[in-house]
Amino acid sequence: MYPPATSALPCVAGIGLRAPHYREVLDTLPDLGWVEAHSENFFGGGAPLHTLLAVRQHYPVSLHGVGMGLASPAPINEGHLAALKRLCDVVQPARISEHLCWNTVNGDVINDLLPFPHTHAALAHVASRIDHVQAVLGRQLLVENLSSYVSFTSSEMSEGEFLAELVRRTGCGILFDVENLYVNVRNLGVDEDVFIRAIPAHAVGEYHLAGFSVRDGCLVDTHDHPVCDAVWTLYEKVLRHIGPRPTLIEWDGNIPALPVLMAEAGKAQLRMEACDECFA
Amino acid sequence: MNVLHDELADFSHAIIKGAPSSSGVVAPPHYSVTIGLEVYRNNYRGNLQDALAGAYPVIEQLVGTDFWHMLARDFISLHGSCSANLYDYGAELGDFLEDYEAARSLAYLPDVARLEWACHHAYFATDAEPLDLARLSQVAPADHANLLLHVHPACRIVASVFPIVAIWQAHQAGGSFDIDWAGGGETALVSRQNDAVNVHALKADAAHWLEAVIQGQSLGMATAATLKRFPLFDLQETLLRFAALNVWTDFSLGETS
Repeated sequence: MYPPATSALPCVAGIGLRAPHYREVLDTLPDLGWVEAHSENFFGGGAPLHTLLAVRQHYPVSLHGVGMGLASPAPINEGHLAALKRLCDVVQPARISEHLCWNTVNGDVINDLLPFPHTHAALAHVASRIDHVQAVLGRQLLVENLSSYVSFTSSEMSEGEFLAELVRRTGCGILFDVENLYVNVRNLGVDEDVFIRAIPAHAVGEYHLAGFSVRDGCLVDTHDHPVCDAVWTLYEKVLRHIGPRPTLIEWDGNIPALPVLMAEAGKAQLRMEACDECFA
Repeated sequence: MNVLHDELADFSHAIIKGAPSSSGVVAPPHYSVTIGLEVYRNNYRGNLQDALAGAYPVIEQLVGTDFWHMLARDFISLHGSCSANLYDYGAELGDFLEDYEAARSLAYLPDVARLEWACHHAYFATDAEPLDLARLSQVAPADHANLLLHVHPACRIVASVFPIVAIWQAHQAGGSFDIDWAGGGETALVSRQNDAVNVHALKADAAHWLEAVIQGQSLGMATAATLKRFPLFDLQETLLRFAALNVWTDFSLGETS
């Protein structure tokens, strides 16, 4: 009922477009496969939106939301959804994604990506909200797996099973964040092979890669470091099982010079090409 | 759903208020639940602190880094977020500073904060086409008094008994600290042109008139009220100056008064 998971994004590596690089990207038009931008940063008009529209003339753009709170107990914030819809209408993104998380309860907003118990009741709740978002946008949504620092004893299924069931019920796609999986493996003891096997390969529309930091033994998804060797290794494993997909390098803190970010994307590109051969 | 609501309300309480979490929240063997929750608490505060710092760079310069951190922490403990868009966070800082004992000696801070919020708002405001002055000039003179001028969504007025425009400008790149503290207050007009946010000091008569227009008064009513108080008010010059500052987007004809 919505455009399928095979992406309008080219199956190459892209970068997260952040404010420090706007000017340089537009002035030099570097060789970027595609870019991803955080939807909420462009909900108004003025300089941010006009910059994104200028970038859009040169590169495919994916819009990545951090605020929809798909699992929040409150009703979907219709104003937020309408703003996303307006943005999608003008940008015409190749992809639209959100996180499998919540951010609002009793009117209190926590501007973060928060975990929740993976219960059957939560599944029905999240599925109905994804249905609604996709109906309003008229587009398929990619839903991203989360990095977590705690878990809930009331969970009745794994995150991978939860995502697979969302795909079955709503036709949404999956944004597979490899670093988030790695964080959960190290923090919560998630079995990476079980997770990968649970994910329906056909639904995966995009991968994310990023760096983390460590606080008191807990891996924190800070996006402020290069991708570490263990995450590259896990990415190679995911590529072998699921296949190449458009892959994004996310870097949100201590943002490096553009060539450093592009070199990081180049590492993903090499691995995708190597994997292309094994899928050929 | 109710169970989910209760669990997440409990979790949110643990993050926002620092309360202990319910027994349903667990962590792995190699770190404690407290450490896991502390990551969420730090993210929560850190994201709001970054949002405030983004909106209030002049206030941060005025009070210095250490004071700013204390101020931001105190503000966040009183004002939670109510929008999933972080650019909406921090609107109440001006009012908060009014009652903030530690900043009493800097009496101009609340109004400078209000001016910065107006600038922050202007930067992200939605787009609107500028007014076509040729179209306005075609309105029949008999209808002039009933004109309702539509103001750009980025425009805001901030009035103060302090020279807030000079203070604000002094803290922009290349700004001069030539502030006339004895010269009385200033009323700032914030507007956006070609994506740049501009701050201009308004003369008292122009400020009086624009306030009335923003409140929805017709050209006739607003001008009559302003002329009563400021007999030398020049409507034509003021209207064109605001057009040049991209204040107008459109017009309509109100009810005949």
